[in-house]
Amino acid sequence: MSEARIEPHSGAVKFTMLIAGAVFTLMMILGLLMRAAQGSLIELDPALFYQILSAHGAGMVGTAGLSGAAIMWYFVGRYVALSAKMYWAFICLFLLGVVFILASIFIGGYGGAWTFLFPLPAMSGGAWEPWAGALFILGYTSIGVGFLLYYLAIGYPIIKRYGGLGRAMAWHVAFGGADPEDAPPPTIIAAAVVTVFNTLGIVVGATVLVASLVNLLFPGFVVDALLAKNMIFFFGHVFINASIYMAVIAVYEIIPEYTGRPWKTTRIFALAWTSILLFVMAVYPHHLMQDMVMPGWMLVMGQVVSYLSGLPLLVVTAFSLCVYLVGSKMRWDLASALLVLAIAGWSIGSVPAIIDGMIVVNKVMHNTQWVPGHFHIYLLLGEVAMSFGFMAWLVQGREVAREGMSNLDKLAFGAYVLGGFGFTVMFLISGAMSIPRRWAVHLPEWILQDQIATAFGAVVVLSVVVFVLKYVGGLRR
Amino acid sequence: MQTTILAVALGLMAVVALVFCRVFSFVNAETGTANTGSRRSKFFWGLLVLGVLVTAGSLRQWPHAIATGAGVVQVNATGAQWSWEIDTRKIPVGKKVVFNLHTEDVNHGFGVIDQSGQLLFQTQAMPGYINKVAYVFDEPGQHRVLCMEFCGVGHHDMTDTFDVVAD
Repeated sequence: MSEARIEPHSGAVKFTMLIAGAVFTLMMILGLLMRAAQGSLIELDPALFYQILSAHGAGMVGTAGLSGAAIMWYFVGRYVALSAKMYWAFICLFLLGVVFILASIFIGGYGGAWTFLFPLPAMSGGAWEPWAGALFILGYTSIGVGFLLYYLAIGYPIIKRYGGLGRAMAWHVAFGGADPEDAPPPTIIAAAVVTVFNTLGIVVGATVLVASLVNLLFPGFVVDALLAKNMIFFFGHVFINASIYMAVIAVYEIIPEYTGRPWKTTRIFALAWTSILLFVMAVYPHHLMQDMVMPGWMLVMGQVVSYLSGLPLLVVTAFSLCVYLVGSKMRWDLASALLVLAIAGWSIGSVPAIIDGMIVVNKVMHNTQWVPGHFHIYLLLGEVAMSFGFMAWLVQGREVAREGMSNLDKLAFGAYVLGGFGFTVMFLISGAMSIPRRWAVHLPEWILQDQIATAFGAVVVLSVVVFVLKYVGGLRR
Repeated sequence: MQTTILAVALGLMAVVALVFCRVFSFVNAETGTANTGSRRSKFFWGLLVLGVLVTAGSLRQWPHAIATGAGVVQVNATGAQWSWEIDTRKIPVGKKVVFNLHTEDVNHGFGVIDQSGQLLFQTQAMPGYINKVAYVFDEPGQHRVLCMEFCGVGHHDMTDTFDVVAD
C-alpha cells in the first residue's frame, strides 16, 4: 500500500523529548542517590529514601511512557493526519499529573512507591497524610486521562484511514491470506496494537485508582486486596510494556535510513504483533506468583506467557534487525548505535525476566534485587536507549549522519554500555545473594555490591548528560 | 539454587550478546544469500521446544504444593507495620511445616533467610487473605525473616528470627 508522507509535529515532539531527556537524567540521579545511600556512601533518612524511590519509579515509568508516546506520534504522523491540539492536551494533562505527583511526594511526604499497592496509600503508618496519597492518585489519574486522549487521537485516524482496527493490525494478512503488500506499514500495526492494549490497561488502572481514592476519602469503603493487586499489576505491566512497544517504532523507521532496507510488514510480523497484543495482557500474573491464593491456572499462565512473550521479540524483532544489518551499508553514528543497542539490550534483558517468570525461581528471586536487575536492563538499555537514539536522530540531520561518530559520541556510548551493563548485572548478582529490593538501609554484608553499582551508575549518568547536552546543542542549531 | 540461576542467566545473556556482536561483524561485509525464513523457522521451533521442556520440568511438581495430614507443623505469622508476630519460635528440622500468613494492615512479604544469607522461600501476606507456604528445613539454626513487599517507611526494619531445632 503506497503511503503519502505527512509532515509530523516535529516541534511538539522535540519539546517532549527535551522534557523526557531532562527527566530521565534527573531520575537517574535520584536512582544513583538511592544506590549510594544503600552503599553507605551518603546518608539518606529512610522517609526521604522512600520518597525518592516513589519519585524515581513514577518518574521513570511516566517518562518512558511519555517518550514512547512522542516517538509513536512522530512516526504515525507520517501516515495519518494527527491533531496537534489533542497532542498538546495530552502534554498538559501529563504535566499537570507530574505537578500533583511531585507535590504529593516532596510536600506531602508520600512514599508509597509508584505501585500504590492497596491499601498502602491510605495506611502510611503516620509517614504521610491521606491528602498526599490522594494527590498522588489524582496525578496518575490526570496522566491516565491524558493518555486516553492520546490514544483516541491516534486510534481514530488510524481506524478511518485503514478501515478498522483489525485491518490496521493487519489481521487480513495474518489470518486472511491477504498479500503483505496490502498491509499497513509496521508503524501503524504497532500503533494500533499498543492503542488497544494500553487503552484497556489504563481503563483498568483508572478503575483501581478511583477505588483507592474513594478508600482514602472514605476509609469505610474497602476494596478486595487481591482484586486491587491484580488490577494494579495488570495496569503497571501493560503500561511499561506499552512504552517499549511504542518506542520500538523508532527502530522500524530510522534503521532503514541507515541500512537502505525498508522494515517491511510480513505475515510473520503481523502474527507477532497479534501475539504481543495477547501476551502483554495475559502475562501480568507473573507479578503475583507469591500470592498463593491466586488460582493456580493463572500462575501457570503467567509462567507460560512470560516465556512466550520472548518469542516475538527474539524471533521477529531481534532476528529481523540482524537480517537487515548483515551485509548492509550501515553507517554507525550515535543514533543508529543507540537504536541497535536498544534491541540488543531488550533481548538480553528478556533472559533474566523470563527466568524470574518461572514459579520455582520466583520463590527465591521475587522482590529481591533480581527484579530491578532485569527491568533495568530492558528499560535502561532498551526503551531509554531507543529514546536517546531517537533524540540523536531528531536533531542531527542527514549530513551529520554521514560523518559517523565523534570521539565524544564514542566515549559517551561506550560509557553508557559499560555503565549500563555493570549497573544492571550488579542488581542481578545482588538478587542472587537474596538482597531484597526497596530497602532504604542495607546490611553491612550487602554494601560492597551497592558501592560497585553506584560507580557504574555514575558512569551511566555522565554519559546521559552528554546525550542530553548534545540534543540541546542540536536543537539550538 | 540462586548461584545456579545466576550462572544460567548470565550464560544465556552472554549468548544473546555474542550473537549481536557476531552480526555486527557482518555489517558492511559481502554476504551470500541466506535462507532467513528457514533459519527463523528453526529458531522459533527450537525456542518453542525448549520452552515446553523447561515448563514441563519446572511444573512437574507444583511449586506451591501444601503438605496436609498429621505431623505437619502449622505456624501462623502475622505482619503489621513494621513487625512480625510468629506463634511458633522453635520449628523442628526435617518436618513438613506450613506457614499461614496474615496481615493486619497492608501487604507484606514473608521471606525466610538461612544462616548463609540465602532466601529459602517466601510468600505474600495480603489483607483479607491467608497465604500458605510449605517448607521442610534441612539444617538447624537461627533463620531470619525479612519483609519482601514494600510496606512503608519502616519496611527495612521489619525483620524477625526463629530457630530451627533438632526434634
